Amino acid sequence: MTNHWIDLKNADAILAIGCNPAENHPISFKWIEQALDNGGKLISVDPRYTRTSSKSDIYAQIRPGTDIAFLGGMINFALQKNMIHQEYVREYTNATFIVNEKFDFQDGMFCAFDDQEKTYDPKAWAYATGPDGKPKRDHAMKDPNSVYQLLKKHYSRYDVDTVCSITGTKKEDYLKVAKAFCATGRPDKAGTILYAMGITQSTHGSQNVRAVAMLQMLLGNIGIAGGGVNALRGESNVQGSTDYGLLFHILPGYLKSPEFDNVNLKAYLEKWTPKTKDPKSVNWWGNTPKYTVSLLKAWYGENATKENDFCYDYLPKRMGNYSYVKVMEKMGKGEIEGLVCMGMNPAVGGPDSNSARDALGKLKWLVTADLWETETSIFWKRPGVDPKTVQTEVFMLPVASSIEKEGSISNSGRWTQWRYKAVEPVGDSRSDMHIIDEFFKRVKALYAKEKGAFPEPITKLAWNYGNGHEPDVNLVAKEINGYFTKDMTIKDKDKVLEFKAGDQVPMFKYLQDDGSTVSGCWIYCGSFTKEGNQMARRDASDPTGLGLFPKWSWCWPVNRRIIYNRASVNPAGEPFNPKRPLIAWDALEKKWKGDVPDGPWPPMKDDKEGKYPFIMLAEGHGRLYALDMKDGPFPEHYEPVESPARNLLSPVQNNPVVKLPKNVSSDAAKFPFVGTTYRVTEHWQAGAMTRNLPWLVELVPDMFVEISESLAKQKGIRHGEMVKVTTERGSIQAKALVTSRLKPLTVGGKEIEQVGMPWHFGYAGLATGDSGNVLTPTAGCANTGIPEYKAFLCNIEKGGRKA
Amino acid sequence: MTAAKIIMNEIKGYHRFLKFMMFLVALGALASAVRFVFGLGGTTNLNDTYPWGLWISFDVVTAVPLAAGAFTLGAIVHCFHIKKLEPLVRPAIVTGFLGYSLVGIGLLLDLGQPQRGWHTLVYWNVHSPMFEVSMCVMAYTTVLFLEFLSPVCERLGYHLPLRVLRWLEMPLVIAAAAISTLHQSSLGTFFLIAVDKLHALWYNPLLPLQFWLSAIFTGLSIIIIEATMVHRYMDQPNESELLEILTKILPWVLGVYLVVKGLSLAFLTHGPIFDRPGLLALFALEIGAGVIAPVVIFMKRKNREDDRMQLRGACLVIFGLVLNRFNVSMFGMIQPDQKIYFPSVIESLVTIGIIAAHVLFFVLIAKYFPIFEHHPETVDYTIPDGFRRTDGHEGHGKVSEA
Amino acid sequence: MSSVTTDCSKSKSFLIDTTKCTGCRGCQVACKQWNQLKGEKTEFFSGEGYQNPPSMSEYTFTRVKFKDYQKHGQNEFAFYKEMCMHCNDPACASVCPVGAFKKTAEGPVVYNADRCIGCRFCMVACPFGIPKYQWSKAFPLVKKCTGCYSRVKSGLEPACATACPTAITYGTRGELLKEAEKRIANRPDRYYKTIYGKEEAGGTSVLYLTHQPLDELGFKPVTSRSLPSYTWQALRFVPGIFLTVGGGLSLVSWFNHRKERVKREEEQRKASAETHNGTE
Ligand SMILES: Nc1nc2c(c(=O)[nH]1)N[C@H]1C(S)=C(S)[C@@H](COP(=O)(O)OP(=O)(O)OC[C@H]3O[C@@H](n4cnc5c(=O)[nH]c(N)nc54)[C@H](O)[C@@H]3O)O[C@H]1N2
Ligand SMILES: Nc1nc2c(c(=O)[nH]1)N[C@H]1C(S)=C(S)[C@@H](COP(=O)(O)OP(=O)(O)OC[C@H]3O[C@@H](n4cnc5c(=O)[nH]c(N)nc54)[C@H](O)[C@@H]3O)O[C@H]1N2
Ligand code: SF4
Ligand code: SF4
Ligand code: SF4
Ligand code: SF4
Ligand code: SF4
Ligand SMILES: [Mo]
Repeated sequence: MTNHWIDLKNADAILAIGCNPAENHPISFKWIEQALDNGGKLISVDPRYTRTSSKSDIYAQIRPGTDIAFLGGMINFALQKNMIHQEYVREYTNATFIVNEKFDFQDGMFCAFDDQEKTYDPKAWAYATGPDGKPKRDHAMKDPNSVYQLLKKHYSRYDVDTVCSITGTKKEDYLKVAKAFCATGRPDKAGTILYAMGITQSTHGSQNVRAVAMLQMLLGNIGIAGGGVNALRGESNVQGSTDYGLLFHILPGYLKSPEFDNVNLKAYLEKWTPKTKDPKSVNWWGNTPKYTVSLLKAWYGENATKENDFCYDYLPKRMGNYSYVKVMEKMGKGEIEGLVCMGMNPAVGGPDSNSARDALGKLKWLVTADLWETETSIFWKRPGVDPKTVQTEVFMLPVASSIEKEGSISNSGRWTQWRYKAVEPVGDSRSDMHIIDEFFKRVKALYAKEKGAFPEPITKLAWNYGNGHEPDVNLVAKEINGYFTKDMTIKDKDKVLEFKAGDQVPMFKYLQDDGSTVSGCWIYCGSFTKEGNQMARRDASDPTGLGLFPKWSWCWPVNRRIIYNRASVNPAGEPFNPKRPLIAWDALEKKWKGDVPDGPWPPMKDDKEGKYPFIMLAEGHGRLYALDMKDGPFPEHYEPVESPARNLLSPVQNNPVVKLPKNVSSDAAKFPFVGTTYRVTEHWQAGAMTRNLPWLVELVPDMFVEISESLAKQKGIRHGEMVKVTTERGSIQAKALVTSRLKPLTVGGKEIEQVGMPWHFGYAGLATGDSGNVLTPTAGCANTGIPEYKAFLCNIEKGGRKA
Repeated sequence: MTAAKIIMNEIKGYHRFLKFMMFLVALGALASAVRFVFGLGGTTNLNDTYPWGLWISFDVVTAVPLAAGAFTLGAIVHCFHIKKLEPLVRPAIVTGFLGYSLVGIGLLLDLGQPQRGWHTLVYWNVHSPMFEVSMCVMAYTTVLFLEFLSPVCERLGYHLPLRVLRWLEMPLVIAAAAISTLHQSSLGTFFLIAVDKLHALWYNPLLPLQFWLSAIFTGLSIIIIEATMVHRYMDQPNESELLEILTKILPWVLGVYLVVKGLSLAFLTHGPIFDRPGLLALFALEIGAGVIAPVVIFMKRKNREDDRMQLRGACLVIFGLVLNRFNVSMFGMIQPDQKIYFPSVIESLVTIGIIAAHVLFFVLIAKYFPIFEHHPETVDYTIPDGFRRTDGHEGHGKVSEA
Repeated sequence: MSSVTTDCSKSKSFLIDTTKCTGCRGCQVACKQWNQLKGEKTEFFSGEGYQNPPSMSEYTFTRVKFKDYQKHGQNEFAFYKEMCMHCNDPACASVCPVGAFKKTAEGPVVYNADRCIGCRFCMVACPFGIPKYQWSKAFPLVKKCTGCYSRVKSGLEPACATACPTAITYGTRGELLKEAEKRIANRPDRYYKTIYGKEEAGGTSVLYLTHQPLDELGFKPVTSRSLPSYTWQALRFVPGIFLTVGGGLSLVSWFNHRKERVKREEEQRKASAETHNGTE
């Protein structure tokens, strides 16, 4: 989230697209309801009429996988009707930037596509630079190669009729949505867009998100109270998990994970430290060396010295894609020996789960560290499988649940809240930290004993979290924040600061690239300081009245509650919306009031020191036109890999950079219906956490699929009857829930039926049922690899497994 | 011969019918045992929608007015001094006593915590009609028991208690009538709380009055039936001449009831009356067959004197009463979208057992105690009985000798 | 005394604003957790939408009802939490022969299991169908929402109210009524104009606001008079009737006996007179 949960109350319009907060983020509704009480409008865009839709002022139905068309149409609408926030767009986005002349978009393809590799060369999309090395700009935004004009041209194709015929949305509903939301393109209005898996789980998921961000930039909605691009994140600490680099392509603090050609620290930093020639651009990522070195110091401690590149060599260098789908592919081929599933249940949660379950059987060993016996841990005795045929040795480690251990949880709004242990772990279960600690110690001992090809990455690790039974989580938190390794004197503007070796670093601007500081995750620098554990703060004061609660827990970066907040004021530092000032420049005191600003510099207009608001980008301006996406600088509509319709906007059917797996099929005769998966409030994810709890099983005891009344009639299916749903990957049985909340969509003049289902079920636990993911394809987003769980083709028949 | 053997031999000599009754009672007892082992939910068709079923509707709500003969007749004979009817009193008391005892047993089966029955005596809630009814039923059963003690003492020749009982007779009769008035009507009060549940055909604020009135005519009718049965099957004298008196009273009570019912239906209901055809039919049947038809029958002197018509009329009244109590306590309470309740096998067996027990014990008591023998010439007048002593020439001795 | 409607404006109540209820059923689960009630064995689908279990029971003191229908071509997906209404003048308390139910000053209507004889009159009496029975037991008791009396007494809010993210406000009845009226006035387009529970059964400590008309959602129409008053208008005559009938019958029999005696004496006198004038 650029903003945070409580801030939802400040919105004049809330567009929930591809998310269902009433069901999946129930507490969010506390704040959404407050917005509604203050006259705000809630808009729900979803293939189904959900519990969120039931609370909305406007509901629009959308065909799964067509969000770019939907949002592109809104961008077009805002531009055509001139509902955009002119000053914001001109000053704060790259609308005024001029793109190099070779840039081209034709017939659904951007320039510089390599047909063999199925990749673009994004360098071809670069800005045109002037003699000063800075990108060329046209403040009038008239230049045909200005981003603004390119944008306008690109989305002029997304007229309402075309869009509705792609998305299946009723035209009047679409117009209602567009009008209501674009009405926030005024300085005194705030609109927020909430999204989640309906947007991201797509072969063009990242471009969906970009479309959201672009619309928000055009409407001047980023950086302001009640605005923002707000990903409603999923697992309670999934924000923390990405912050700490749990994905294959990043290190903690969103530093890039080294690639094979980053042969040494210098090459790595060269490649990943962005540069700018514009003095008004902060280009915060220019600090990459400081954060990288501090991270290496945290990992290798004393062993990390300037001379040995701070042990950079010990980091694995990746070559290509190690996303979940790829790992499973390899595993299926028998190329992976062992797997540790720590709080993950791929036998239910991953796509094409039949293949995933088979792949687990190719492992030599499997460790599951979980609260429950999961489908993954008993994959070898799943229905239809003779345990004797599975050779994998499975170890189950019982893990303490979140209330049985101490630590921090980072929520969607980047708030890191410290939690204490409430009860002792049940039975023999241990905290994850304990398990990892033991893992490390034993592997290290094995290396010491048996040696190995390359033991140093393990043996040289600095690992000092206490000698007790349970590692000291406070030591971990302190290291993540970071400390000085030697006495230091730092000059900051007019202040001189003295630090002793071992002092906590107060904030990340003091981190160094010479090894004098340690920080396990730079964005968390400031969370555990001399003043103590900031994450444990519980002061419920709200001086601005905007719900920022600056002294409640701590949020990254530097406790800034709404990021890009320098965009909430005009270049002179005056709030665009004086009624809801997030920050304001006090010209007398020469400082900002309100939220922690995105940097202390005076307003942008200040000739000497003023800075652009989008400090994380080299050019300092919000990107309506992106330079680093794998699939194009503008989001372009493509059909999901399995689609019942031809692409009405271009001859290119699917995202051209996505490689299709073998087992997908768009054979409309065999699979005439659009399938989609989602969650229900009553169950959690792969189900171990809820299908084992009688109170929740009572609420939703069986796997079900939702279909429209017309499809039910067509197929002679009655409410509550068993049905069988089939895709190219497999088939499942479930009970049919026939409801008017699901309706067929008219796409390209043709009526298309949907089959919706939760994906929470599996064969382990108290309540069992077939898994939705038996049906889903492994095709993933071009940029992130997140599977296309939300749109596939299927057939449905009456009569369950027998059918 | 051991006592058990004596009893076995005695039983062997019983009529087939009695043996069958004993079998039914045994079945009922077994069913009751099953209820206590497996719980109400497992053995009955009661549930949260039908917290009360056959046992309350029949064993309590219906059985209580069916046992009303004792107090009605007691009052008529002793207070209004229609002495001719005296021979009917003792059987009525026995029926009443048996009836109430069995109501008690039915209730204990139905209670979730029968062992706490005494709580009603300790934790008073004067706002509860059930509190009122249980107090009354307990008091009344005691009264009936005392009244029933007379033939027992006579039989056993205990004079002293007999003296006390004779002396107590009048106060007991009056207490019986007053208590009965209260609880018979309070059974109607039960349903006043169900203002949103009980259909307007039956719900009105005068329900208690209607229950009381109907208890009276039921009491009278039950005596007619009982006397006729006893005459037919137990070699007792034909009392139809006496019963004729009752048939004269009956149309009056029924008439008053009808008027009260009509007026309340016309002026005191608050809800649609004609919206549920099924209920309307039940209502029509209850009033038509159970009230209007007997009135018509008993208006004719010929019918009143004809013992077959006496029986038929009385049976109609009873049928109407039973239907009425079921209508009020069950059918009229069913909401349009509710499933229909049917009593389970266990429930039915228990109720059948209770009815059989009633018949069985009545016959046995009649067999072993002087309940039909209470004719003036057999009374031991050395025991003072200030109220009863008459000169004897008015007695019906002749009839019974006939 | 139950027939006198007490002033409940100071007692604690629930304002359940169904326009804000997301049907998340946190309340339903929180209630089970706090009261340690068993999860029921259910099947999908036992009601509209995702509603489950099919009804409240000894194991389920509160349940979120789902309404899934269409009106003027628009979807309606509505949710409301059913629970004991904690009537100001509770029918359950008035009919209980042993006074096992009690309206507390704090608001909740509480049940004393130690007294209950299990007669189920409370179940028949409750206009909202709230008290449920332990049908599975050989010696069953009644079960119903406790209003979380133990929590309320120690200054906490009921478990369901605490768990609810949006819809439940807990406070004094007087304030909540004002709040409810304010909400209706502020957003007349959003609210149906009746506060359920304001008048029902003589007023309850649970108040509902809805968007849809009440009957569409399946709210039971309930008399606006307190239910015990219906019973009391008959029961209050009990002592009078007892005395009247008892006294009346005593008089009648005394009178009849006197008549009889007089008659008999008369006859005897006549008889003796006749023998005196004996013609035989
Ligand atoms: N109760 C509960 N809460 C949860 C979870 C849970 O399992 N249970 N999981 C957590 C996790 S990890 C996550 S990631 C979040 C996810 O939260 P959400 O993203 O809200 O979850 P979903 O239900 O998967 O998808 C949201 C909605 O997207 C709709 N949808 C499907 N396809 C499309 C599409 O193409 N376009 C649009 N616009 N909408 C589409 C679906 O109908 C669904 O209503 O929830 C978190 N919260
Ligand atoms: N079809 C379809 N598939 C989907 C999605 C979809 O929308 N549609 N959504 C996807 C999304 S967004 C996600 S996030 C994934 C989730 O997929 P998974 O992460 O595989 O699913 P979970 O059930 O959340 O697995 C978490 C496991 O962690 C265990 N656990 C809980 N607490 C702890 C703890 O403290 N320590 C440890 N070690 N274990 C713990 C739980 O018991 C549980 O078994 O599924 C994806 N799969
Ligand atoms: S489950 Fe937890 S994280 Fe999710 S909405 Fe409820 S309280 Fe928040
Ligand atoms: S709702 Fe029913 S159980 Fe609850 S207080 Fe009122 S009458 Fe009693
Ligand atoms: S069942 Fe218990 S609580 Fe209910 S009325 Fe009877 S005794 Fe009272
Ligand atoms: S008040 Fe307490 S007992 Fe009643 S429904 Fe709420 S949580 Fe359950
Ligand atoms: S917890 Fe609140 S929002 Fe959720 S279902 Fe219950 S009443 Fe509705
Ligand atoms: Mo997720």
